[in-house]
Amino acid sequence: MIALALLLAQSALDPSVIARGERIFAQSCSVGYCHGVAGAAGRGPRLRGRSFSKDYLLNVTRDGIPSSAMPAWKGRLKDDEIRAVVEYVASLSSATDPAPPANPMPPGVGPASMPSFGGPPQAARGHALFFDPPRNHCGACHAVGGRGIAVGPDLTALPVKSPTELTSLIHATRSRHVLNAKLANGEEFPALLAEQNGNHVRLYDLTLPPPVLRALARRDVVSLVENQTWRHEDFVKDYSVAELQDIVVYLRWAATGQ
Amino acid sequence: MSRLGWLACAAGILAGALVAQDGSTQNDWPHYGGERSAWRYSALDQINRSNVGRLKAAWAFQTGKVDGGFNATPLVVDGVMYVSSSWNRVFAIDAESGKEIWHYFYQNPREIGIIYSPWTRGVAVSAGRVFFGTLDNHVVALDQKTGREQWRVNVEDMRQCGCNITGAPLIVKDKVIVGVTGGDSAHRGYLTAFDVSTGRKAWRFWTIPAPGEKGHETWTGDSWKHGGGSTWLTGSYDPELNLVYWGVGNAAADFYGEARKGTNLYTDSIIALDPDTGKLKWYFQEVPHDVWDFDAAYECVLFDAPVHGVARKLLLNVNKGGYAFVVDRTNGEFISAWPVAENITWITGVDSKGNLVGRNEPPVGQTSLICPSIGGGRQWNHGSYSPHTKWFYTTGIEWCQAVTVTPEEPKEGLNFFGGVFQLRQPMHGPAGGHLDAYDPVTGKKFWSYPSKYPLLASQLSTAGDLVFSGDPEGNFFALDALTGKKLWNFPTGSGHRGSSITYSVKGKQYVATPSGWGSALAGLLPQLWPETEDFPPGSTLFVFALPSEER
Repeated sequence: MIALALLLAQSALDPSVIARGERIFAQSCSVGYCHGVAGAAGRGPRLRGRSFSKDYLLNVTRDGIPSSAMPAWKGRLKDDEIRAVVEYVASLSSATDPAPPANPMPPGVGPASMPSFGGPPQAARGHALFFDPPRNHCGACHAVGGRGIAVGPDLTALPVKSPTELTSLIHATRSRHVLNAKLANGEEFPALLAEQNGNHVRLYDLTLPPPVLRALARRDVVSLVENQTWRHEDFVKDYSVAELQDIVVYLRWAATGQ
Repeated sequence: MSRLGWLACAAGILAGALVAQDGSTQNDWPHYGGERSAWRYSALDQINRSNVGRLKAAWAFQTGKVDGGFNATPLVVDGVMYVSSSWNRVFAIDAESGKEIWHYFYQNPREIGIIYSPWTRGVAVSAGRVFFGTLDNHVVALDQKTGREQWRVNVEDMRQCGCNITGAPLIVKDKVIVGVTGGDSAHRGYLTAFDVSTGRKAWRFWTIPAPGEKGHETWTGDSWKHGGGSTWLTGSYDPELNLVYWGVGNAAADFYGEARKGTNLYTDSIIALDPDTGKLKWYFQEVPHDVWDFDAAYECVLFDAPVHGVARKLLLNVNKGGYAFVVDRTNGEFISAWPVAENITWITGVDSKGNLVGRNEPPVGQTSLICPSIGGGRQWNHGSYSPHTKWFYTTGIEWCQAVTVTPEEPKEGLNFFGGVFQLRQPMHGPAGGHLDAYDPVTGKKFWSYPSKYPLLASQLSTAGDLVFSGDPEGNFFALDALTGKKLWNFPTGSGHRGSSITYSVKGKQYVATPSGWGSALAGLLPQLWPETEDFPPGSTLFVFALPSEER
């Protein structure tokens, strides 16, 4: 943050930085219902003709505004891109015309630079497969690297070397976490215990993906014991060996960066 | 047709309507659209044209969070009102006294970071539970009596899909059917049904077919994986035909279509599904290969009316592009299309088969003037069908946009518009809105109520021959359903963006409306009407009734 602030101070009023910021803003901040072309207002607030301190702009652009639609752009834009956007928005403060420029899209606009996935191609394929929604994907119950629904164990550091190993891990899983829940109404399902609080129990029902977090009165839960028989649904059959290899490469990349 | 013949025919239609699909609400307002035919019409007539001028505020209820506006439709079941407001605050309120029975504030994560928030459009009530979708993409079931959570399920990681749930669920038998936003994100849309008691997924219908499925050939390359097709509002249900109808949103990227050549099924389509299995029964695509962001996602109004003298079961859907489409709801056959706005330049018309004529596609890399704007020839706020007048009441908006189309690659969890837009004045007349009465089949206009600003609240019609709605300046008003004349007005202090309802408790009729300016569209208005930037937000439910001596 300090380095970024220094960069900001150095770059003040550099026209090429502002122009770069304009391009990034057009692609990332003008779009849709957000801040409108050249900050003319949208679903987000108007930025033209308003004075904001650069520190404020930097904080808000980097970290977002909690409990709002304003996202944190760190991780989505590079630091120098955020810096350029801040310079550009600051330059809009002197704009007095409510109407934005005639050509709203400056030349040379391209997609914002941060790709959705930074790994090598095979890991990227594995990433896509891990989170492939139509196949009741792994990501419906497991998180990796801050993505996915973290109901089961986080797999970011899963030590897996080959498709065979991955397959056997999936088939062999009798997680010590998975319980068998029996309810007073006769219902029975594989469960993960999420929370016990006084007279209430919260269990993830693993019958079908996606898992359902069910809140129950303690008296309605007849028993909650280790599940000796639970296995992953055999979704491995939905993937080819080559695809499993891609997932293995992705998990290794997520764990080690390689 | 002789007079007698006409009467017999009308009686037959009426009888048919009563058996098949009576969309009138009575004392309750049990579903999002009133009944599941989405008429937003009540058979209550205690408040009517002769006495509405004496309507008085009975009580008001504050939700406490004003950002995003108050966009919901309240429900009323057995004298209890259930309503949601921004940030997934859910309330049960004594519908007679306005006293809170319980509230449930869902804990969303601190960063939502996607554009479809923080507004919500409502809840569903069935089988002792209250259901709603959340800004972080969960479906939640509460105990109807206590407001205590029973189950919740995370439908998809919102950080990856750039999607969440702002629409109200639809209840069909033992299932709660929930749509999804994401049509302006790199996302592939769907509709999901969950078991009401356990929350387990019952079925999912993907609005974009996968490789090997019929319709997949309408997409090129990998574009189907992030082609939009969201289901962000609430569908309808015909119990006799056992079909659930849902409107599907635009294709993504919104404006840039070069990477998804083809008609892009089932975006911008009405889909009819078997609610027991989620299987597609028929579809009707309003806008093949959409490059304007003209969703077919709005309400599906199910009504019966004669077409060329033959009684038909029909479905009306107003497309965001400003045309109302009418199809046969048994099979999706096109019946008619008619405009709700005057400034329409993206097409020159719709032919007798339902095909778009004179497509005006904005060229890539250039800036073009297109009418209406991305906000629509009508906004999502719903129209109302009155079986009493047999007219459909809906709004229209006159505005245009300069749209600049740019190539764009999809990025996980992020917006996917393929261009930018700025609002522009229309060519004909000033920018503004209107509320109109139409023949729902022919589009013949009977009256028009003009408005300085776009009207962004839903319509409610009643057997008292009244049409209720609200405006951005905060006025809640009643019009004569037969003439469009304003009969009553109440300033609520903040603009109207939600949907009013009417109900009855212990023999007394009430009219309830959310008041609270906000939303994506409200944020765009200052581009044409700078003063609207200072319009006050709010989030208050106002309830009205006649003074006791008037009833």
